[in-house]
Parts: sequence; C-alpha cells; structure tokens
Amino acid sequence: MALPNQGTVDYPSFKLVIVGDGGTGKTTFVKRHLTGEFEKKYEPTIGVEVHPLDFTTNCGKIRFYCWDTAGQEKFGGLRDGYYIHGQCAIIMFDVTSRLTYKNVPTWHRDLCRVCENIPIVLCGNKVDVKNRQVKAKQVTFHRKKNLQYYEISAKSNYNFEKPFLYLARKLAGDPNLHFVEAVALKPPEVTIDMAMQQQHEAELAAAAAQPLPDDDDDLIE
Amino acid sequence: MADPAEHRPAEEEEEAAAAGEDEDTGAQVAPIVKLEEVAVTTGEEEEDVLLDMKAKLYRFDKEGNQWKERGTGTVKLLKHKETSKVRLVMRQAKTLKICANHLVVATTKMQEHAGSDKSCVWHALDFADGELKEELFAIRFGSVENCKKFKDTVEEIAEQQGKNEEKESEEASSAAELVEKLTVTEATQEETTEKGEAPAADDKDAKA
Repeated sequence: MALPNQGTVDYPSFKLVIVGDGGTGKTTFVKRHLTGEFEKKYEPTIGVEVHPLDFTTNCGKIRFYCWDTAGQEKFGGLRDGYYIHGQCAIIMFDVTSRLTYKNVPTWHRDLCRVCENIPIVLCGNKVDVKNRQVKAKQVTFHRKKNLQYYEISAKSNYNFEKPFLYLARKLAGDPNLHFVEAVALKPPEVTIDMAMQQQHEAELAAAAAQPLPDDDDDLIE
Repeated sequence: MADPAEHRPAEEEEEAAAAGEDEDTGAQVAPIVKLEEVAVTTGEEEEDVLLDMKAKLYRFDKEGNQWKERGTGTVKLLKHKETSKVRLVMRQAKTLKICANHLVVATTKMQEHAGSDKSCVWHALDFADGELKEELFAIRFGSVENCKKFKDTVEEIAEQQGKNEEKESEEASSAAELVEKLTVTEATQEETTEKGEAPAADDKDAKA
C-alpha cells in the first residue's frame, strides 16, 4: 500500500494504527523500536507521524507502517482519516494512570468504527513503575472485546516485541511465525587517514566524559 | 545469565501470571497475507565467533551532546574464515535486529568511559542500517571482568589487523618492485630487438 512520504518495499507491509491517551508512551515505544533510544522527555505528538518498522521473520521480512497518532484531543485533528485502511492496531494505556485505562473503550470504539475486524493489541505500558494504579487483574476490557493484552515497559523492554509478534502472526494466520536474525551484511572496507583519526579521538575523549543515560544493569545481567 | 527481559519485581510476576497475559484472547480475524517459510541466513555463516557477550550499547548524539541507547542484547566479535577480517556485530535481544555492524581495524581504539568501569567507548564507521555512518559507541557490560575481556580482545584484534595490513603492503610493494624490474627487462629486450638485424626475432631470444 502506498503511503504519503514513504517508499514502498518489495516485502509485505501493513498499516498499524497506534492510539491511546496522551502521555501513555506511544511515541516512546515506537522510537524504542526504531533507534533503540528511550526518550524520557514528553513532547506531545501533533496529528500523526508515520514510521516504517521492519522485522525479520522465518517467513521473510515484513514492515509495519506505524501511524503514531496524537493522544491529546487538542492535537488530534481528523482522527478517522488516520484510521482508514488500518490493518492492525495497538491501543496503549498507562498502568500508572487509571484515567488512561478508563478511556480505552472510547479509543476502541472510534477505531472499530472505521476498521472492522482487524487484529488489535491492548498494551498496558510503564509496568516498570513501582506504584502502578491499574493492577493486572483489573484489566478486563480485552476479554470482553477479544483483544490480546500485554503488559509492557518501553523503559525496560519488558515484552516490547510481543505486540508486533502477535500482530504479525494474526496478519499472516501463522501461529508459529517468529523473529529471526536479520542478515548482517558485510561492511565495506574504508581507509581512515591520520587527520580523520585524530579528529575521531578528540571527539571520543569529549564523549567519554558525558555520563551514560542510566546506571541500572537490569538488562545486561 | 538470566534472560534480560524476564527481570522484573516478583510482585509483577505474580500479577502477570494471574492475568494470563500470554494466553491468546484475540478475536478470530482472517489473515490478509499468506507467507511462506524461507531459509534463514544470519550473514555470519563464514565467520568464527571470537567473543559473545551480553551488553547494552549506546551511540553518541553529537547534536544533543548526549549518549542515547542503541540496543540491549548480544555483542559478538566475528572472524572471517578466509580473509581473517574481524567485525563487531551486535543484535537486539528478542527482535534480533542489528544495532552495530563494523570492522575492527588497525585504527580501532577502545577508551575507558569516565563514569563507569564496566563501559568503554570507541569510534566506528558503522554499517548497521546498510549504509556507512560515523558513530561514537559506548558499551556497558554486566561486570568489570567482561568489559576488560571485550576491550582486551578488540585491542588484540586491532593490533593483529595492523600487522596484517603491514604484511599486505610489504607484499604489495615487493610486487611493485618486481613489476618495475620486469618492465626494465622488457625495455632492454625491446632495445635489443630494435638493434637486431632481423625484425622477426628468434623465439628463444624474446623469451630470455
């Protein structure tokens, strides 16, 4: 499917709509998958941002065009327009904010009005936070509506691959589909001259003095 | 080493189990594509693994003058079976996407990170996204020992690559000298031929 400002690819691609209240972590989640970074700073999304996200599976490469939408009403705009031709969806809420869970039915209703019968994942984000307001057993909406539910943390990467894996399996109708190693292409050889080398070393010395973002080794050990 | 993504407070573990979060409660939706299983290639088939450790990788954002996370997963040093070139490949856990992919060359230098003795930093021309990009990387390991092992191994490889390059350039220059000598010989022969009485020189002479 051709999308504005996005090149088409020769492997299967799907339009994924991501909705949920403002500040629940939709953009942070997408960015985490795109570049690996975890953005702490909150900058509300205006309208919609579309990001292509590729995954390598045992059935070849696939792409999700992630329509990361504005959660805040005042930045929303023409919402139905964003949903049109959506092939799968993620509804995000924040387990540290009851209100964001309370609004899930509204997001679901709006989505289903435009996109009938598409696979949808409900994600309870920020489960790394100690004082959560919505406990796992209080999450029941997905049972009524036959949605898949995952507790996730964009910060700790807990279950961060599961929503995409679930959607890919449903879209392909293959419960055994799984992620495999992306091909590590041979890097080209380049010669580095002395002047460049010295510049790199100076830059490196400056960078080495900057602290790393966090000090928890949870993900390594 | 425990699976990194499984690490979380026990309280949540119980709740997650109660919620049965892995159970498929999804609706019966019709698939929209038919995908055939394909042969999986990692691109690492021609290489031997010199090192394989869990780590967290960061890249330096020059504009923002800050380190940003790049991925958490497995870092490997891979030596090509034929060319003996060594590269560093790091993959994100679970999605197995590539977060770093570059050659370890003679000029690759590991430096300590000021704030952490489990971390080190280096410069690379990285090919993770399929195009060469200048990157400053920082990597953090679970222990000081692992960091030291990584740093020492990379430095050893860089030194070895330097030696290999020297050897190659020596071979190249001796080859060049040889070509020069051959050219001189040919020139002499040409002169001889020109001076010779018969233009159609004897085969034996020409080959001498």
